[in-house]
Amino acid sequence: MAVKIFDRETILDLTVNIIPLFIIGFFLGLFLLYQAWGWDTLPSVLMIGLHVVPLVTLALLTYLSGKAIAGSEKTGDVFHQGQALVPGASEKEHGGAEAEPAIAEAGDEDEDEESGTEETRAAE
Amino acid sequence: MELNGQLALTVLMGLFLVAVAAWLARVENWRSYTPLGSGGGGYGQESGYVSQEKPSGFIRWLTTVDHKDIGMLYGAFGVTAFLVGGAMVMLMRAELTVPEMTLISNQFYNSLMTSHGITMLFLFGTPIIAAFSNYFIPLVIGADDMAFPRINAIAFWLLPPAALLIWAGFFPVPDVIPAQTSWTMYTPLSAGVGQGNQANAGVDLMLLGLHLSGISATMGAINFIVTIFTERAEEVTWANLDIFSWTILTQSGLILFSFPLLGSALLMLLADRNLGTTFFAVDGGGPMLWQHLFWFFGHPEVYILVLPPMGLVSYILPRFSGRRLFGFKFVVYSTLAIGVLSFGVWAHHMFATGMDPRLRASFMAVSMAIAIPSAVKTFNWITTMWNGSIRLTAPMLFCIGFVSNFIVGGVTGVFLASIPVDLVLHDTYYVVGHFHYIVMGAIAFAGFAGLYYWYPIYTGRMYQRSLAKWHFWLWMIGSNVTFFAMILLGYGGMPRRYATYLPQFTDLHQVASIGAFIMTLGALIFLWNFVVSWYEGPVVRDGDPWDLKEDSLYTTEWEWFDRKLKTAVADGGEALPGGEESDAAEN
Ligand code: HEM
Ligand SMILES: [Cu+2]
Repeated sequence: MAVKIFDRETILDLTVNIIPLFIIGFFLGLFLLYQAWGWDTLPSVLMIGLHVVPLVTLALLTYLSGKAIAGSEKTGDVFHQGQALVPGASEKEHGGAEAEPAIAEAGDEDEDEESGTEETRAAE
Repeated sequence: MELNGQLALTVLMGLFLVAVAAWLARVENWRSYTPLGSGGGGYGQESGYVSQEKPSGFIRWLTTVDHKDIGMLYGAFGVTAFLVGGAMVMLMRAELTVPEMTLISNQFYNSLMTSHGITMLFLFGTPIIAAFSNYFIPLVIGADDMAFPRINAIAFWLLPPAALLIWAGFFPVPDVIPAQTSWTMYTPLSAGVGQGNQANAGVDLMLLGLHLSGISATMGAINFIVTIFTERAEEVTWANLDIFSWTILTQSGLILFSFPLLGSALLMLLADRNLGTTFFAVDGGGPMLWQHLFWFFGHPEVYILVLPPMGLVSYILPRFSGRRLFGFKFVVYSTLAIGVLSFGVWAHHMFATGMDPRLRASFMAVSMAIAIPSAVKTFNWITTMWNGSIRLTAPMLFCIGFVSNFIVGGVTGVFLASIPVDLVLHDTYYVVGHFHYIVMGAIAFAGFAGLYYWYPIYTGRMYQRSLAKWHFWLWMIGSNVTFFAMILLGYGGMPRRYATYLPQFTDLHQVASIGAFIMTLGALIFLWNFVVSWYEGPVVRDGDPWDLKEDSLYTTEWEWFDRKLKTAVADGGEALPGGEESDAAEN
């Protein structure tokens, strides 16, 4: 594929999963550097495995799902959730028109805030 | 004499089965069931004849393979199980209003507690989720039906026998008593050894029922994985998949990897009980083996139950906030992260067993890590509502209740995941409070959000809004009164799973029971509203009863509903004003 999938935007989306990866990695490092209960082969190897297996699997799944999602984002139309099959639904990327959701009944909200959020969304 | 009786029974049973087979052969044209003959192997095309050949009346419900019908069956089953499990726990809460044994025996208390847990998790939780996923996922992703409609039907029909087996001990069958093992079925108690009465056949039946429900869940999971991977419409790319489908996909993956393990462990336990094996015997594999196997399934199970409700809330909550879900992709990725990490934390349920401290610390580390994706979602929901134009409809109220209760449940969970805290609080009411905030305060609330939100789609009518709000408030107050009292009881040192207690705990136990009675009242209101509105509620004539179009939040399943309303043959006017009424947004 010619388009770059793991650009800044995608990496930003993936930070949610990078944080837990970091936490697991941090504890692994901590437990290896400071071995409060010493080293015994079986429990210590299990300890490492209990960190490494989730770490690697999560990294792998994050990579694959990032590739699938960001990949199809870059090659096809992107709609908001549940709307891909609604005729006339606006697209996410160039959806300037849907930026101002009509405020129905309550009508007490601040319009600027609304469009502010939409910009945040578009930036994602 | 005995032999003759058995022989007669066997012959009778045989005749009965033959009669059933003959009857089925008459109502169904089996020859139409040749999927390979339909050409091109396109399973998606099957639904053409599937819907054409629907018989009417009762037989339709017994023979249906339509995903919407099966969703309805799951829903009816789940709501029924919820009432049964609720009735069980109300007996227990009544007993717990006084410290000593009065109303029921302590053995019956233990039986109720075991059955309450298993019923709520396996016969209410999983099925009510399957109700929504079966009905709506094929609609939302643009599939004709589930990938394997008949496996879908089998998966559902395994559940009623599973329920009968699980409850078997309560039926007036001589010499069969209910299981008193609690849902965790720890050995050696559940192996039936020792002085207790748990060698009884009732326990075996319960284990078999549980096994059957696991097969059902696994079949459903495979079906969803295949459906979501292969049956999506072309427009529904991975980037366009809605959050509810994502959570169901993840949930199905968890089921696929954890339920077969439960099934194997159950079979090993059954073998220990009946065939003299020693998998979990004290001088065989040991009781710790059971705990490891059980919780390797058990922790993913709690996420199997909570992920789809999270998806429901992520799907419904934005519709009444007047805006999109904030950080949609964060929610998707964190769902997947929870899916993976939930397999690496199981022993946080076993911190007090004296396992090697190095292992214990590892499980604590991963448990801390899994809290992040959960917290991320919470912030996304709050941010979605922040300054939105919120409409406090019944489904929205239940979504907000979900978020609120999930915060308390999640924070107490993080505390429990810390080893020193857990060693103090383990096996106290604090744990009971923690998980009830989630299973009741969050999962059941999301279920009700879904039931109210889509009520117009599956009944064609609108419920009574004021009653729905009464339901919500009674439940919000009731659940917090009950479960917060439990957290306080846990701090006070009240151990869980006891029918009696020391007098110093009386006040808080009574508070907890009052909360439970408040919820019972709410449940009765719900039931009344749910049933009566189904028959008499104002007819919905507009495909957008929640006014989602105004905010460009209209989604595919409503679009489908709209088309259905427009193409339906006019059946000779019901009162229109009712229909008009129901479009007016609630507020
Ligand atoms: C924020 C993430 C969570 C953490 C860190 C967490 C942590 C814990 C811990 C450490 C325990 C064991 C307490 C003990 O027995 O001493 C526990 C028990 C439990 N948790 Fe959670 N939990 C979390 C979320 C959930 C969720 C989402 C659910 C349900 C869907 C759940 C359901 C349960 C159940 C059912 C038990 C009790 C099991 C039993 O012993 O019968 N937890 N939790
Ligand atoms: Cu757990």
